[in-house]
Amino acid sequence: MSDFRPILRPALATKKAVASAALKLSPLPEGTILHVLARSGEQDIVPLLDSLAKPAAHAVRPVSPGQWFIVHEEPMHHKEMKSLFAALEPRATGVDQSHGRVRIRIEGKMASRALSKGTAVDLDPSAFPIGQSAVTLIGHIAAHLTRVAPEAFEIIVLRGFAESLWDDLARMSLEYI
Amino acid sequence: MASLVPCPHCGQRPKEEFTIKGAALTRPAAGAEAADWFDYVYLRDNPRGAYEEYWHHTSGCRRWIVVTRDTVTHDVAASRDAADRARSEART
Amino acid sequence: MSSYRLPKGGLVDREAPLSFTFDGRPLRGFAGDTLASALLANGQMLVGRSFKYHRPRGILTAGAAEPNALVTVGSGGRTEPNTRATMQELYEGLEAQSQNRWPSLDFDIGALNGLLSPFLGAGFYYKTFMWPAPLWEKFYEPFIRKAAGLGKASYEADPDSYEKSWAHCDLLVIGAGPTGLAAALTAGRAGARVILVDEGVQPGGSLLFDTAMIDGKAAADFARAASAELQSMPNVRLMMRTTAFGWYDGNVFGAVERVQKHVRDPAPHLPVERLWRIVARHALLATGAEERPLVFGGNDRPGVMMASAMRAYLNRYRVAPGRATAIFTTDDSGYALARDLEAAHVDVVAIVDSRSSAGVDYRGKARLIREAVVCGTKGRKAISAIEVHRGGRTETIAVDALAMAGGFSPIIHLACHRGGKPAWSAEKAAFLAPDGLKGLDVAGAAAATTDLAACLAEGATRAKAIVTEFGLSCPPVVLPKVEGDEGRHTAKPLWSIPGVKGKAFVDFQNDVHLKDIGLAVREGYSHVELAKRYTTNGMATDQGKLSNVNAIGLIAKARGVSPVEVGTTTFRPFYTPVSFGALTGAHTGHHFQPVRKSPLHDWAKKHGAVFVETGLWYRSSWFPRTGERTWRESVDREVLNVRKNAGLCDVSMLGKIEISGRDAAEFLNRVYCNAFLKLPVGRARYGLMLREDGMIYDDGTTSRLEENRFFMTTTTAYAAGVMNHLEFCAQALWPELDVRLASITDQWAQMAIAGPKARTILQRIVDEDISDAAFPFLAAKEVSLFGGALHGCLFRISFSGELAYELAVPAGYGVSVADALMDAGKDHGIMPYGVETLSVLRIEKGHVTHNEINGTVVPADLGFGKMVSATKSDFIGKAMLQREGLAASDRPQLVGVMPLDPSQSFRSGAHVLATGAAATLENDQGYVTSSAYSPHLGSTIGLALVKNGSSRHGEEVMVWDGLHGESSPARLCNPVFFDPQNQRLHV
Repeated sequence: MSDFRPILRPALATKKAVASAALKLSPLPEGTILHVLARSGEQDIVPLLDSLAKPAAHAVRPVSPGQWFIVHEEPMHHKEMKSLFAALEPRATGVDQSHGRVRIRIEGKMASRALSKGTAVDLDPSAFPIGQSAVTLIGHIAAHLTRVAPEAFEIIVLRGFAESLWDDLARMSLEYI
Repeated sequence: MASLVPCPHCGQRPKEEFTIKGAALTRPAAGAEAADWFDYVYLRDNPRGAYEEYWHHTSGCRRWIVVTRDTVTHDVAASRDAADRARSEART
Repeated sequence: MSSYRLPKGGLVDREAPLSFTFDGRPLRGFAGDTLASALLANGQMLVGRSFKYHRPRGILTAGAAEPNALVTVGSGGRTEPNTRATMQELYEGLEAQSQNRWPSLDFDIGALNGLLSPFLGAGFYYKTFMWPAPLWEKFYEPFIRKAAGLGKASYEADPDSYEKSWAHCDLLVIGAGPTGLAAALTAGRAGARVILVDEGVQPGGSLLFDTAMIDGKAAADFARAASAELQSMPNVRLMMRTTAFGWYDGNVFGAVERVQKHVRDPAPHLPVERLWRIVARHALLATGAEERPLVFGGNDRPGVMMASAMRAYLNRYRVAPGRATAIFTTDDSGYALARDLEAAHVDVVAIVDSRSSAGVDYRGKARLIREAVVCGTKGRKAISAIEVHRGGRTETIAVDALAMAGGFSPIIHLACHRGGKPAWSAEKAAFLAPDGLKGLDVAGAAAATTDLAACLAEGATRAKAIVTEFGLSCPPVVLPKVEGDEGRHTAKPLWSIPGVKGKAFVDFQNDVHLKDIGLAVREGYSHVELAKRYTTNGMATDQGKLSNVNAIGLIAKARGVSPVEVGTTTFRPFYTPVSFGALTGAHTGHHFQPVRKSPLHDWAKKHGAVFVETGLWYRSSWFPRTGERTWRESVDREVLNVRKNAGLCDVSMLGKIEISGRDAAEFLNRVYCNAFLKLPVGRARYGLMLREDGMIYDDGTTSRLEENRFFMTTTTAYAAGVMNHLEFCAQALWPELDVRLASITDQWAQMAIAGPKARTILQRIVDEDISDAAFPFLAAKEVSLFGGALHGCLFRISFSGELAYELAVPAGYGVSVADALMDAGKDHGIMPYGVETLSVLRIEKGHVTHNEINGTVVPADLGFGKMVSATKSDFIGKAMLQREGLAASDRPQLVGVMPLDPSQSFRSGAHVLATGAAATLENDQGYVTSSAYSPHLGSTIGLALVKNGSSRHGEEVMVWDGLHGESSPARLCNPVFFDPQNQRLHV
């Protein structure tokens, strides 16, 4: 079946963006999410990650001590990914999470208010500036949150929970739509 | 209703983000006496006051931390990464 | 019934009349009214019946402490019983019903309880209903529950929504009265992040009914201007209709916002209530003070009201309390009320002052009776007269309203929620918040500061000190000029009143009266905690806001000690009742818990799967086909087809963990009891993970894809737990190992392709050679699919005992690949199968799951004894596994079991007994852990954990199920029922 071309089915394929002047919630295209896990004791690895990531804002996002996500809008070819992973060694390991994680964007002047219905992280710009990331519970679901603009956040969530989190976010946004 | 646990990596987070394991005991060496293993596996002090516990920031950075908590007031006097603690204990 | 509303003034909007009903009777009020003020304006003095004695009750307060005026608001699913009329905003169409009366509020049969009152005193439950005991459940309790009344909850579903939210601030100010407003303004102007919460509709607190002038403005106008300034500051959040109800660890405050409790038809896009958790660097409690009732006979009669409440109804809502009012005061606040009443041309008949002199020079028209007390009242459903006791003589004075001013108790509940005990101050004659609180200050009337200028100053200076501590520079505090404030001079508490006539209530809501307190002390329950429980004083939904301090004073008096020695009971959240809806928040119905969906969910759905919830996952159970009448028919077909042709099963929900790093193999060697160090690259191995106590924790296969990269699978149920456990081992136990763990469960859609034709089908999409020679049993590697269009991982592992593979592909392509496999297999008879079939297949092969790995078994119990490494120096569980008891011959061991008569069956959970033995605990031999119908054997088969089971193959036993009343003779056997030589695996 070498002529067969598998078709990608995005986890949030059936979800349409919801938007108003105050808030917009939208599923992001399933591009590339690489999970980088540094060797213990490894210092200053971020410049290496920056050099390997595509030149885009917030392409490298901290996950936890010694771990990052490298995020690209576009899917990455298998070979390209393998060579990126090879370039990380031996300082770090790369794990493909492009399908294991799903991105959602929430933006607008009420975005942080809506998110505060789920997370206990203080989202005031003074405490959570642009570029800051945190893994936190949003309601009952753990997710990775990054402020990508003064009034915009990206959420990275496990694929299996993506629909549930979307439904929760939509409900949390209801009063601003 | 609410209580916050300070994660050394993430700052104050609600307890719902954590999993608590219990007393932060040091695992005996492989060839330790049976009595040491029984202590480690089964026996727990239940002090009134400061208590060191393992907490896992499960819905956060996923690091295991050692929280020094007062069992009377719930005040947290210290919280540090479990790996740092294990390494410092290994040195002593 | 005539109107008590004064013709002009106040903070109600006379241009916005509202209609509402009380017990079905149509009434009118204005926007800005509470239900209580509107009822009073309509002359409705009687609003409820008391809890125990069904005494007529009116409106006592104008705020959160109200113990009497509890009504049911709304109807259907929106029925809200026990609503305090004093806190309920009036809205158009509001429907209110009185409670605890039958057949009507005016004529209440339950009032006969009043005649039984000699038998209903403190502790009557314990005394009266002790014997005979069986009657307690059948008769006494239902009787008491029916007679003792609060409102009734609705059985209908609540149509409204609720939610929760977090908020963060530098300074949380609780209470938007003069102290709180001054504090919020000061901190806000300094640039601090401020949250100001208040349970009222508009900011101001006591300013909304105070007649003092602040900076030349009326107090209410000052409040309005302050609130406008606060609202203009982006760093300040003003949250009205929000009650801060608790102080918790980490300086988190719980608060509930009534978003839409003041509208008839709540908008669906908004919650009706929102539960806030406010994380504050520091908080300032500016909650004011509660006026204390005075304990005289008939102090509960409708028309008797707290003096400050009467002043609020008069000045804010412009409702006169009556035509002829008396004031019973123990401090100067009664005179401010007298002045306001007279200014509004409401007759004040008498001022009864317990003291010999007042701090104010009263020049009004009322008769001033000093050194006197009100000892009783008269009237049936409303007060008609008071009895004034002075110098041993009693005089009756006709009135239709009575104010009582017993002094003020600071509202310090929240300051005591984290274990602090209030401290009695003899100087202030009040319980004050404990000293040395971290993260919380108390200011204003809540700290027993009495005059308005001092409250404003205290709020501002405290706020300044707090924000300065945060490193903010605070502009100089300018204190406003206050005129016309008479202040509130400290009252000398008048705990007990001479010559009391009739029932003098201490706790209005629980009907605890003076004699109950005395009885408790006499009967030995004089400790404050015992007295509380014996009398139920302070145990109603108002938590004793009005009664606790009086009860303590009365106990102190009875014991002849100071209140300091009596102490207080424990303050606990919630300050006022919080609805279950708010506590539940949005997590109801569809949002009750997350659903975790497999990437193959839609594929299974397309094939008609019946789903079953497994944890948060939805797993396909079986795939019924047309004509199949029972689930068993579908499962039998699926089972037979896997063994004859091939089946495809979604196993994506198995936990998957990628383990890498230089020490990955060493790490696995320590977390599994069997050896992993020398597992060759390209091979999978079954592993058993133990707990530190030696019992099996979880099992699964782990494959070595590269020298330092492993792909671990766990069971579905323990996926999260295993990941936490591995992280614990890597971080807390062996941080010296270079090991990195990534959860990849969601990255891969994983499918089992099982059956004799599995290879033929799979080879059509896999580019590499997967012949038995090239890809033998337990081979594992990354593969290319569809001519390089996709990459996945292929494992030759088998849970079914057939030639089988598990193929993992990137999750987003899962459905497409499953479709391709179904297409590739359609000429080979491929069918989807679900977890029921998976279960039958594994039981036929004697494979264990968590049914067998039940937390009490060690590897040897399941026949895995030889797997345990004898050579490894350490692994989790090694030390405790050495215990001799774990090697005892009578331990439960895995064994197969089949009924002697194939037409009989048994279920999991049934117990195994020796033939002829009685079903007793002593005779119990073990139990059936898993059972299924095997279509190959034409019989029920089971796996069981039976004492010494591995040596008892062939023995006849009885399988007994007491729960279902079933028993069947059976035979123990080899747990591998099908292909015991494993010939089908290696083809």
